[in-house]
Amino acid sequence: MRDMVLRALRIRPELATMLLRRGLFTPEERAEFLESFPKGSKVFSAPTLGPVQFATLLAQGDTHLAARAVLRNAVRPNELQWLYRLLRFQKPSEKRDELTRVVERALEGRKGNVRKSS
Amino acid sequence: MSENLAETPPPAALVNSVVKNLCALAARAWSKRWIITFTAPTGVGKTTAVDYAERTLGFDHQVIRCKQITTRYTLLQALALAPGEKWNTHGRNWMRAADLYDRAVERIRQRPYLLIIDESDRLRLDCFEILRDFWDEAKLPMLLVGNEILTEKLNRQHERLFRRIRVRFEQRPLREADLRKVLEVMSYTIADDEFAFLWKLVGGSPGFAEALLENANEIAASQGAKRGIEALEGALRFFPTLRAAA
Repeated sequence: MRDMVLRALRIRPELATMLLRRGLFTPEERAEFLESFPKGSKVFSAPTLGPVQFATLLAQGDTHLAARAVLRNAVRPNELQWLYRLLRFQKPSEKRDELTRVVERALEGRKGNVRKSS
Repeated sequence: MSENLAETPPPAALVNSVVKNLCALAARAWSKRWIITFTAPTGVGKTTAVDYAERTLGFDHQVIRCKQITTRYTLLQALALAPGEKWNTHGRNWMRAADLYDRAVERIRQRPYLLIIDESDRLRLDCFEILRDFWDEAKLPMLLVGNEILTEKLNRQHERLFRRIRVRFEQRPLREADLRKVLEVMSYTIADDEFAFLWKLVGGSPGFAEALLENANEIAASQGAKRGIEALEGALRFFPTLRAAA
């Protein structure tokens, strides 16, 4: 199974559904993700999250997925602002700092590679 | 008369203990030409206090808001260049950085000001070294604002700067009445049971309280109901660290 699909299966279902709806995954990843649920599963009828809820779950969830969501424009500006605030509440770690850097660059309208701190 | 009016700070939405202490320390750092650190836990309202100080301080000052992407070069640019000014000197980065540094020192010598750095706990090692150089060369007074990590970081990694700090102020979280007042000013109408629930979870941190309340508002709105304890409990699902404290 692809790494991103595994990550998506580990996060909260409502967040995974939101990311799926926003087109975060490639067609192959999407197909693989959908295959892992039985037919008629209720996971896809999860309610749409509000901007703060979405940002909160992103901040708490998988850093790789969150970074990909930010870099692929799956996070709206008001959600980005909340994500930035919520990341600052968290305990500092290298992963959190990298994601914060990605979010800051996105807020400034820049994308692409992120320079690591020394 | 007009001068007096110009020096009078505009009325603030709410001047709580965090704002008062930060402004008092800024004034002291400026008058004594000291380096002062102001530390407080995340979410207490440091950035709000810095915003207030930026608008109201009656002497020359410059505020730098640190980010994860702040580098020595961006720091030098902020101190050496006027807002909107472009730096067009070509050459290798270190040469350009040296030019910027000289220019920043010259600016400080000609017209001293207080440097306030918000979230300074996120500064990198080389940025702290630059700050020490500014202090040594131009006696630049500074107010370094950050969370608990700032003291630890300075103590462990930047002893030379640490020895030059005259006051290390630790701000306590807000008291119950203060938190209630802050949330009221933030336009939240909170019932007593909701506030008791919030206080138990977040203590004196309006930032955390706001995040929890906004989540609860969205949960309540999705159910077409008014926010209540159930919505706040639902919002707790999103905060594993707070859930452990509950």
